[in-house]
Amino acid sequence: MSAVRWALALGWPTPLFLPVLLAAGLALAAVGPVIERLLRPIYDRDESFQLLLTFALVLMFEDVIRFVWGTAPHQLGNVYLAYGQVRVGALTVPTYNLIVIACSAGIAAGMGWFLARTRFGRIVRATAENREMAAAMGVDMTRVYARVFTLGVALGTVGGALVIPATAAVNEMGIELIVEAFAVVVIGGLGSMRGAFAGALVVGVVKAVAIATWPEVEMLAIYVIVIAVLVLRPAGLFARATA
Amino acid sequence: MTALLEATDVRKSYGDTLALDGVSLRVDAGEFVSIIGPNGAGKTTLVNVLTGLTPPSSGRVRFKGTDVAGVGPARLARLGMARSFQLVTIFPALSVADTLAVAALSRLRRSTRPFAALSRDADVRAAVDEVAALFGLHDKLERAACTLPQGDKKLLDVASAFALRPDVILMDEPTSGVSTADKTTIMQTLVHAAQRMGVRAIVQVEHDMDIVFGYSDRIVALHQGRVLADATPDAIRADADVVRAVLGIATTQGRTQPGRA
Amino acid sequence: MIVRALGLIAGAALVLLPLAGVPYTTTLLLPAFGYAVALLGLNLLFGSTGLLSFGHALFIALGGYTAAALTGRFGVRSLELVLLAAALVAALVAVPIGLLCVRYVKIYFGMLTLAFGMLFYSFLYKFYALTGGDEGMRVLRPMLLGRPLEHLDTVAYLTGPFYYYALGVLVVAALVMRRLVGSPFGLSLRSIRENAAKAESLGIGVRRCRLAAFVVAAVFGAIGGVLLVVPTGLADPLLAYWTHSGNLVFMLLLGGFDHFLGPVLGALVFILLQDSVMSLTSYWRFVFGAILAVIVIFFPRGLMGLLDARRAAAS
Repeated sequence: MSAVRWALALGWPTPLFLPVLLAAGLALAAVGPVIERLLRPIYDRDESFQLLLTFALVLMFEDVIRFVWGTAPHQLGNVYLAYGQVRVGALTVPTYNLIVIACSAGIAAGMGWFLARTRFGRIVRATAENREMAAAMGVDMTRVYARVFTLGVALGTVGGALVIPATAAVNEMGIELIVEAFAVVVIGGLGSMRGAFAGALVVGVVKAVAIATWPEVEMLAIYVIVIAVLVLRPAGLFARATA
Repeated sequence: MTALLEATDVRKSYGDTLALDGVSLRVDAGEFVSIIGPNGAGKTTLVNVLTGLTPPSSGRVRFKGTDVAGVGPARLARLGMARSFQLVTIFPALSVADTLAVAALSRLRRSTRPFAALSRDADVRAAVDEVAALFGLHDKLERAACTLPQGDKKLLDVASAFALRPDVILMDEPTSGVSTADKTTIMQTLVHAAQRMGVRAIVQVEHDMDIVFGYSDRIVALHQGRVLADATPDAIRADADVVRAVLGIATTQGRTQPGRA
Repeated sequence: MIVRALGLIAGAALVLLPLAGVPYTTTLLLPAFGYAVALLGLNLLFGSTGLLSFGHALFIALGGYTAAALTGRFGVRSLELVLLAAALVAALVAVPIGLLCVRYVKIYFGMLTLAFGMLFYSFLYKFYALTGGDEGMRVLRPMLLGRPLEHLDTVAYLTGPFYYYALGVLVVAALVMRRLVGSPFGLSLRSIRENAAKAESLGIGVRRCRLAAFVVAAVFGAIGGVLLVVPTGLADPLLAYWTHSGNLVFMLLLGGFDHFLGPVLGALVFILLQDSVMSLTSYWRFVFGAILAVIVIFFPRGLMGLLDARRAAAS
């Protein structure tokens, strides 16, 4: 979860085409292991401390980005419509949007398959259920954590990369997206892939509906839902048995 | 005479599991009652229901004549019932003195005073000193609870319950995790403190049969959520059902009573 | 004893600062006073009760906007009345929010408070007609103890009477907090922090105490908020943004949450540090992020923890 947050800010790509976009996103995931190393000492502390450390990293990365790429927002205006548009019923939708949807669905399905079918996927799920048991059975915790974290980072960077053609890349992207990512995870439930997907859909739809009907309520609505979820079903809509 | 603590036909189910199936129990003033039973018999559930931590699914719990089912531990503590826990439960960073002070303040109904200076409260200090002396903790008053050896932690846990000067105290395995040599000492301390602090009845959940038979006026044997037997130690020892279900094949021999409540 | 000595020196320095004739530094410290008051409250919540709020900035913003509304819209210029109003508003808002939040602990409490903070932020940001949106609301110069002090220009006002007023408020707040912490109520809170189940079994109303701490923290936060907006003359939505709450927690950790004065130290050091780092490099966020990371990993007890090693060892 924490990885997704700040990694979204890193989704800055230099290339122009979709595959290169994805590749750049993946490449940037290389920072994953480094960050995980930093987070390791505080795994056992209160989760609030982990939140704080993530906040610290967000601050640091904001400036790293500023350093490397400057402060002005970057645009990829032309690419957005490079794939043309498509008519769906009465609406005209840029093909890029459909491609992004397809990619997300593909990635989601891929993650699902990965967790359910592959050996490593099963190890991840086991570790999530019961850390000590898994360790007792010989699973190397450090490596699992490092890999999972990097995977999370990769998802974040790729996600960020995919979003770029539609919006500009701004320094504060990370911070704003953190709040939305937070809402997504809370609504969907910590530790559930389906939940994250559902949460993202909820947030996206609510935002769209709000903008269309009562713009002022856009951000408000999301937080009201977050609060409602935290109160009614603290573990999220797709809660796991072990939170 | 109204019973001090009385449970009538208490049932408790967690989903499909029936933890307590119509348990009735009565504790009168002056009694030392032990609750025994194999693991899973429902002992801790019963204690939780009696101490207001868990509301029963059905049935009545009365304390000093008042209905207290599911009333909550804080309210029950104020009514005069205290409990100690099976696993050592302390305030790690608080000193021994502070821990006992929490209980003393609760008894004096001064827990939420926002502007009184705690350090200048003589009543609290006297109460803390008294309880600490009874439990042999008077030379460790300033030490943080987490730095105490395990046995002292257990003592502190029980001492803080006693510091409430309760009418009834429920103890969940007061000698568990303690070496055999220390067990007798702890029990002696408990009984002595109860007498000095005006505790009117003691209820304990205990596995150590020597302790159980050595100190109880009455023994309640639980098995699969029901009361199998509720009688004096001698009667229990003679009861074959209890012996089989709870005590196992090798029964304990009788012991000369070292001291009674 | 070192702590006492350092404290006295620092206190004296603070009192004498305006006379040193360095208006820049003097006005620089003004937000530190505001933050210090707010943090005293936050520390009651975290240091004493164990609840880390990631939305405390909500109450700072509440205080700030109350000040703006009163001085700007309703023409109430007495700072005493503004402070009182801010306290009342904060208490009123804190009760329902608190009732909801104190039912949860640890990360859920943090997340709920964060959500409420952001809820307030979006309200401030979007409802332009009511709150001025991202432009914020103006805060007009208030009268101190009934004196309009119109004859002083802004700098003279801020480095003179207002400085001592704010410092005075801070001292009063600190004294009140000291009493609270050393009272039976304070002990009850600490027992709840250490082991809520045991506290309850000893007769303490856990939820009620937590709510009380929450409300007190809110009141302190709002008062701090008022002190924050007077120098800048503006109350804007960013006061409630989650990063502002994050900064508060940063200051809290920096100073150390064991001692009730830790946050005051944290606020002062943070402001001074922020100023010096910002003048050295435009990448101050990086430096601050690094500092926070180091504190979280290596020095969770903060500066006060370093100074008072004995207290840290006992915990």
